[in-house]
Amino acid sequence: MLNIEGLLVHFPYDYIYPEQYSYMLELKRTLDAKGHGVLEMPSGTGKTISLLSLIVAYQKVFPLEVSKLIYCSRTVPEIEKVVEELRKLMEYYSKQTGESNNFLALALSSRKNLCIHPELMHANIVVYSYHYLLDPKIADLVSKELTKKSVVVFDEAHNIDNVCIDSMSVNISRRTLDRCQTNVETLQNTIQKIKETDATKLKMEYRRLVEGLKEANVARETDVYLSNPVLPDEILQEAVPGTIRTAEHFVGFLKRFLEYLKSRLRVHHVVQESTPQFLKDIFDKVCIDRKPLRFCAERLRSLLRTLEIADIADFSAVTLISNFATLVSTYSQGFTIIIEPFEDRTPTIANPVLHFSCMDPSIAIKPVFQRFQSVIITSGTLSPLDIYPRILDFRPVTMASFTMTLARTCLCPLIVGRGNDQVALSSKFETREDFAVIRNYGSLLQEMSAIVPDGIVAFFTSYMYMENIVAAWYEQGILENIQRNKLIFIETPDAAETSMALEKYQEACENGRGAILLSVARGKVSEGIDFVHHFGRAVIMFGVPYVYTQSRILKARLEYLRDQFQIRENDFLTFDAMRHAAQCVGRVIRGKTDYGLMIFADKRYARADKRGKLPRWIQEHISDGSLNLTVDEAVQLSKHFLRQMAQPFRQEDQLGLSLLTLEQLESEEMLKKISQIAHQT
Amino acid sequence: MHLIQTMAALSEEVLLVVKKVRQRKQDGTLYLMAERIAWGPEGKDRFTVSHLYADTRCQKISPDGKAKIQLQLVLHTGESTTFHFSNDSSALKDRDAAKELLQQLLPKFKKKANKELEEKNRMLQEDPVLFQLYKDLVVSQVISADEFWANRLGDTNHADPSLSNNKQEVGISGAFLADIRPQTDGCNGLRYNLTADIIESIFRTYPTVKEKYCENVPHNLTEKEFWTRFFQSHYFHRDRINTGTQDIFSECAKQDEQGLKSMVVQGVKNPLVDLLSLEDKTLDEGYGVCTTLPSTSNSNRSVKESSNSAIIKRFNHHSAMVLAAGSRKGETPANQASETSNTDGNSRDSVFFQPPVKKVKLKEAIEYEDLQRENRPKTVALNLKKSDRYAHGPVPLQSQQYTTSQDIINSVNYIQHEMVNYKPNLTQVLSSTTASSAIAALSSGGVLMQAATQQAINQMVPSEVQGELKHLYAAAGELLRHFWSCFPVNTPFMEEKVTKMKSNLERFQMTKLCPFQEKIQRQYLSTNLTGHLEEMLQTAYSKFHIWQTRRMLRKT
Repeated sequence: MLNIEGLLVHFPYDYIYPEQYSYMLELKRTLDAKGHGVLEMPSGTGKTISLLSLIVAYQKVFPLEVSKLIYCSRTVPEIEKVVEELRKLMEYYSKQTGESNNFLALALSSRKNLCIHPELMHANIVVYSYHYLLDPKIADLVSKELTKKSVVVFDEAHNIDNVCIDSMSVNISRRTLDRCQTNVETLQNTIQKIKETDATKLKMEYRRLVEGLKEANVARETDVYLSNPVLPDEILQEAVPGTIRTAEHFVGFLKRFLEYLKSRLRVHHVVQESTPQFLKDIFDKVCIDRKPLRFCAERLRSLLRTLEIADIADFSAVTLISNFATLVSTYSQGFTIIIEPFEDRTPTIANPVLHFSCMDPSIAIKPVFQRFQSVIITSGTLSPLDIYPRILDFRPVTMASFTMTLARTCLCPLIVGRGNDQVALSSKFETREDFAVIRNYGSLLQEMSAIVPDGIVAFFTSYMYMENIVAAWYEQGILENIQRNKLIFIETPDAAETSMALEKYQEACENGRGAILLSVARGKVSEGIDFVHHFGRAVIMFGVPYVYTQSRILKARLEYLRDQFQIRENDFLTFDAMRHAAQCVGRVIRGKTDYGLMIFADKRYARADKRGKLPRWIQEHISDGSLNLTVDEAVQLSKHFLRQMAQPFRQEDQLGLSLLTLEQLESEEMLKKISQIAHQT
Repeated sequence: MHLIQTMAALSEEVLLVVKKVRQRKQDGTLYLMAERIAWGPEGKDRFTVSHLYADTRCQKISPDGKAKIQLQLVLHTGESTTFHFSNDSSALKDRDAAKELLQQLLPKFKKKANKELEEKNRMLQEDPVLFQLYKDLVVSQVISADEFWANRLGDTNHADPSLSNNKQEVGISGAFLADIRPQTDGCNGLRYNLTADIIESIFRTYPTVKEKYCENVPHNLTEKEFWTRFFQSHYFHRDRINTGTQDIFSECAKQDEQGLKSMVVQGVKNPLVDLLSLEDKTLDEGYGVCTTLPSTSNSNRSVKESSNSAIIKRFNHHSAMVLAAGSRKGETPANQASETSNTDGNSRDSVFFQPPVKKVKLKEAIEYEDLQRENRPKTVALNLKKSDRYAHGPVPLQSQQYTTSQDIINSVNYIQHEMVNYKPNLTQVLSSTTASSAIAALSSGGVLMQAATQQAINQMVPSEVQGELKHLYAAAGELLRHFWSCFPVNTPFMEEKVTKMKSNLERFQMTKLCPFQEKIQRQYLSTNLTGHLEEMLQTAYSKFHIWQTRRMLRKT
């Protein structure tokens, strides 16, 4: 039982890490202030259990202040881990208090078995994926009735802006339009049939639409619902425009819209325009007004309901188009429209696509910040902290970065900037094909494969880059030399194949043979797979994982960030590259008993603007002596580090330093020390 | 080519006779017999060259197209003998016939010879003392190599049969294909060096190639043709994108692909590495920011790209196969896990009811071992005074009986307990005179502390002489061991051996010990370093003498 500023918290372990205490302290202050928070704490320091323990305790003590915890995580395994930790906490509670558990927790995972229990509304804790809150299409079905007095936690939130953007972006290809055409025809036939058999149904719908979407409006005014960014408030106050009120008129309207889109896809060069430009064009060409467009999504939903269509999935194309219509007519800012006649890589094959891209992540997350009293954004890597409130447009009451207190320095970040022949190592575009660089990268991996036990994970900046390097290494026989030390496994674009390679990789680490996994930053492995203990004794980041900057969508987004948020392009790109690099290297350290080398193989990492964007818990272990190493120097340092780490490490070594008993925690001196762990910004 | 059934003089089976074979510029005839190969000059009925197959390490042949058609035998000793086939019309055929026959014969003997030789080699390498002994006794020809090994090998085999029988299955090097990097032979060709080990590795890793080999060799292809085709095949060079129809290995590639596919379809057992079920909800088609990932459809990939991805596939496949080949024998643990997960594999649809593998993995993933109080069995911490020494150099391991930590803790506790409860038994103490004489004897200079003078010798004698003395001791010890092991002498063989051993001892004394004695006498007149050695020899001699006189008595 811990005392966190007067709040008694049941914590299901004998000991506690100092940073866990500090984390709970900040969390409690955030809840007290009924505000939002941004908290960075390294993975493997028990972030999840700290969050759960504190919020559950808070809920028990102040049931009127906080009545629900909504815990969002990204991947299925993450969600399942949270559920497991929660179960552990609940067992501990019933053991301590002797009462049977009256807390209701609910986990939704995998949409395939999605059924919305009415319990969702009564549950004390809900655990599910980001999409249930951030994707308006799902949030409307699942989450809109969740109480205002909820605490929302976004764990692993370092990529939350991309999730927001994805949920609001639409791509329309010729195939989409063809399928939409079929959908519209089906609708027309169904309407015709119903008209002959049951005309009253359509009349009733008409009458309801005249009265407008008042029902929804009432609900929102009384604050029962989470608002939907696709269904703006203004719509609710108005009746559906007359032009699309009857079913036949609406189908006619859809047809016209479809024809217009088809004509837009008949382009020979790239077109980029803003949403107002698009609306003006559509009015000029086919006389479609902004107003009926805005009601499109809602009108279609009503029609599908009236026609009693069971399988909505068949109508995904027309739903997509009508969602697009509503979005494009609702937001004059934050979106861009790009029509590309072909893929850049294959200019001879016509494959026109209309990209309707959201550039402003704050649009999708705005309702969440507005509705719920506390939203916690947390992850192992959120540096630099201040950028998240800027791009998500909210005011946090707390922002803190916690380091990992260590009794022994179990991580060893090294920046390798030169080959043994003094050639500067970098993945930058100009030297990307430079054979000297590729060869030196190869010798780095080869040397490491000889000295690092068990598993090594290496990340490349992109799949293409990895393919080219692997081919060059193969031709030069470098891979064969590496095979003398370890087996080689490589990520492929096929997820099933990669899963198998991963499992074999683990098997090879397990049986002592040792293996290397070549993988890609921003790929599935880098985002979702942990390499604990011997599964990853070293991680090598080849190059700085900048996003592919030639993409028009990215360019538009960078421009938007510059104009709207005063974030310079380079700052954002570097931030984005460094958060992915941090994710990659962070994969190997999963706790204080773990250890691993983190090798940044690019001289650009030594620069302050890059290094400074790494999480504090990594940054503070980069000494001046490890800034611009040659391959040989890195090997020497690594050998030394690995030998030290191979020594036995016991609980007693940690106690009092990075691991505390309850008594130790309560001493004045320790509390003073702990207060320095949180780094406020 | 004739098969001669017998040759009276030798009475051993002759398998092949090849005429017109030159050796050292002399014409003659080559005979391949059941256990050896021999060559005799023309017109004479004796062999001037004869090698047992067991002594032969390998054969080498001259490359095709060379003017001289030759076959070379390399012996284990490193010596070699070259035969030149000089029959104009059938030289190549003769050579190949000899080669093929040797190819079949050599491995049979090789295994046996190799094993022994390897064993001996290993023992000498691992044991520097033994190696020195070998040098002192065998190389300086005090005893013969056979005598030296006679009871050594036997010893080891009997001493630890479990060790040699339970030998761990050796896996396959991940880089075995790297060892056959082609070398150019200087005239527009490539040469691959294949050894039996590499072939074994290829067969174990790629069972389909072995199948092909069994199907085709030697009915359709010679062995050489088979391997030539293998190295030329698309199968070997995965980056080459041509699937020639006449390539016999294209089928292997297909089978591998199939195997790979079925592995992929089977899916992974550990749910935490399953990338397919990682994401809870992928966006519906049409939503999301379009990332410019290279499309995976083959139609719009360049040749280079698909060759690159073929290389990547090949590496994954190769590593998987090597891994599988290494664990093929002891495959059970992985399978068991899969069986348990299959038994209730249908329970996937609920988070709260998970298959055991998943449950275990999840539990592992959320466990913080250091946050929990330890309740493992107590262990004794390794206390390193000089951690540098531990970290840097390998320390030879002395075999000894290890006790578990618990044992050590128990005995320490026991001793502590004894100490606490110790009560002096005052009725049984020594008298004061005895006690003081005991103390005197144990003080430096006392009777029981004579060892102290040895230290003086230690310091007086230069280390080089000390080393020499050690070697002498080791050698003498070895010889004496042989000598004493003959008693009781109850077979004629033993009688012979003991006599021989006695003369060995005498020879040792003459050739080794006496020169050493003279040497130290020149330098250190007073010290008698070899006294004990001589004593030991003398004891042996007198034992021999007694035995001999007894035997004489018995005979008369």
